[in-house]
Amino acid sequence: MPISRRTARRAVATAAALAVFLPLSACGGDSGGGGAADASGKIEGSITFQTWNLQANFKPYFTGLIAEFEKKYPGTDVKWIDQPAEGYADKLSADAAGGTLPDVVNVSPDLLAPLAKAGLALDLDQAAAKYKKEYLPGAWAGHGIPGMEGTYAFPWYLNTGPLFYNKRLFREAGLDAEKPPTTYDELFAQSLRIAGKSKGRIATLANIPTIEDFGRYGVQLMNDEGTAFTFNDAKGVELLTKYKELYDAKALDPQALTATPESAGKKFLTQAVAMNPGSALDLEKFRKDAPALYDNIGITEQISSTGKDNMYVMGVMVNARTERTPAAVAFAHFVTDARHQMEFAKQVAIFPSTAGSLDDPYFTKEDGTDATRVRIAAAKSLKTAVNYTPVLMSDQMKTELRNAVARALQGKESPKEALDNAVRACDRLLKQS
Amino acid sequence: MTTPTTTAAAPSGSTAEGRAPKNPRTGGRPRDGRSRIRRHLPTSPWLFAAPGLLVAGAFSLYPFLSTVTNSFTDRRTLIAGRFVGLDNYREMLGDEMFWTGLRNSTLYVLGVVPALVVLPLLLALLVQKQIPGISFFRSAFYTPVVASIVVVGLIWVWLLDERGLVNAVLEAVGVGRVGFLSDQWLLLLSAMAVTVWKGLGYYMIIYLAALANVPRELHEAASVDGAGAVRRFLTVTLPAVRSTMVLVGALSSVAAFKVFSEVYLMAGPDGGPAGEDTTLVMLVQRTGTGLSGRAGYASAISVVVFVVTVALMLLVLRADRKEDA
Repeated sequence: MPISRRTARRAVATAAALAVFLPLSACGGDSGGGGAADASGKIEGSITFQTWNLQANFKPYFTGLIAEFEKKYPGTDVKWIDQPAEGYADKLSADAAGGTLPDVVNVSPDLLAPLAKAGLALDLDQAAAKYKKEYLPGAWAGHGIPGMEGTYAFPWYLNTGPLFYNKRLFREAGLDAEKPPTTYDELFAQSLRIAGKSKGRIATLANIPTIEDFGRYGVQLMNDEGTAFTFNDAKGVELLTKYKELYDAKALDPQALTATPESAGKKFLTQAVAMNPGSALDLEKFRKDAPALYDNIGITEQISSTGKDNMYVMGVMVNARTERTPAAVAFAHFVTDARHQMEFAKQVAIFPSTAGSLDDPYFTKEDGTDATRVRIAAAKSLKTAVNYTPVLMSDQMKTELRNAVARALQGKESPKEALDNAVRACDRLLKQS
Repeated sequence: MTTPTTTAAAPSGSTAEGRAPKNPRTGGRPRDGRSRIRRHLPTSPWLFAAPGLLVAGAFSLYPFLSTVTNSFTDRRTLIAGRFVGLDNYREMLGDEMFWTGLRNSTLYVLGVVPALVVLPLLLALLVQKQIPGISFFRSAFYTPVVASIVVVGLIWVWLLDERGLVNAVLEAVGVGRVGFLSDQWLLLLSAMAVTVWKGLGYYMIIYLAALANVPRELHEAASVDGAGAVRRFLTVTLPAVRSTMVLVGALSSVAAFKVFSEVYLMAGPDGGPAGEDTTLVMLVQRTGTGLSGRAGYASAISVVVFVVTVALMLLVLRADRKEDA
């Protein structure tokens, strides 16, 4: 049957050719600077808005917000999509690579950087400069990308939190439960004491140091140009050496090398560790899930050698390839303007990034409750707080640092060697990005 | 064997038409069903197979070829790649984490496969007997198979935690606490134990089917000849289920080499302390995903995983063939 064989061969050849060439044609996303589009014009049309794990708890707030926007701008239609917390970066990358990125997207600065570099985030310094003065200068600047001109997302909510500690565990170690550590030296000394008194059964910390911890300790994380990492300086080595002492004395939980923030939180909840960072939200969790811990809960400020606390920043970016730039920019601004940020802050323990909002009585006036005390302290610290995590530090780079820290704590490498290796690996990844 | 579909699909003017006797009632179409089938064979199977081929092409062949082509590029998640030749493969040779992944995946095969070939067979021999209440045990052994791996992983993490049940028991009997989830090797062993525990029921069912086909007469004849239980197992049961053992060996070795969930859940996303428990598939996930994912490099690792997996299969099948010879 010569015809059928020929046909079959042709079919196979065609399939093979398609299979080889289609992937190349599918390679999407051109590199280059962020797009800048004209945001003037009539605000109308359908846009999509994607949030990061907010639907479960704040559905009424966002549906109300969207309805208000649609009423203010007749002819607009906002479709709200919410993604779970887990795998958010993967979802964004799939959307970005597939050309289906929503028009308005909730991002953190480290997620924003690769999107802006790929030209997918609108430069707001060009498209929406008139709104700049509404936000805290640091928050607006925090959405710039080192090595690129411009600002690529509207600042949204900020978050920070205190350090919680277990007064009972402090007392049992013979420490004054009303005088928690306020400096790193005190923290290390008290941690060793608690471990010693409990014969290694009670650790004080459950997490290995992260890049934010290095920042808070006063380590310079990157050079001024943002072209190389520098956390292997003497100060960085000093911090890691101290943590190694804690690890050897079991003052740092032995499972810290594989811990996640969630697992560390659980350890604190079960009173297996004495201190853990958190937010005002956690107080309610302690009260409900761990009443014995709640009765002994102590609240203190973050420990910092720089005098500046760490803060987490959220932003709202506009897809540079949206076909509805005026509506998308207007909506991103609407979500993040002072009034709506304030409304959102009253729904949940977050803090607005708009100028003057932190002076609202809601963030300054005591009412005698622990939750308010935590909120006021956090709002106060936010005025000088810093997002220590470099926006160019990708997940892969964070993994390199965690692995290097783990090798140093296990004694497989000296702290200096480990940090040198981590810096080399991060620099290599930075060059490839 | 004739089908109306075949007749209806008959094109006119084919060479077979001239040879077939004409039937006046059917407008001259041939009466001989066999000749009509023969005439349409070349295209009909392809039509029937087309849906399956399309699905396989779209969801297996295309991604596979795409992965191979990507492995020769420096493609990133958001940046189209350019051809870099064998650079990714060269980088892999100098990447410590790749060797760690290859070591752990190989150790996983060596640790898990013998257990999954032997233990389910013993279990099947135990539960094959028709005694009252045996179905309860069969179901109990099979339960881990249907349980979600995430749930299973979390349960084992709780059990093996420094303050978990297992450590509490060990402490009570004076052994002291053991760092199942903090020591690199114990973590890998713990993950292997979970894989074996979860896979026992599945392979037990395969063995039960094989054992049901072993003729009872052979056992009876061996008993009459004076063979004891062990001798009967070695001379009757084992030869009868040998091909099933090869199948189980092949399936479990492929699954073990591609292990991800158990290690990810127990060792964490970094792959244990300093990433020392990372497996190759975990490395693919970690390298290739996220907004800064290196799709080109991750594809190169995937190609290596594929080659090793195929090699493993061939090795097992070759060993089987040698024994046959």
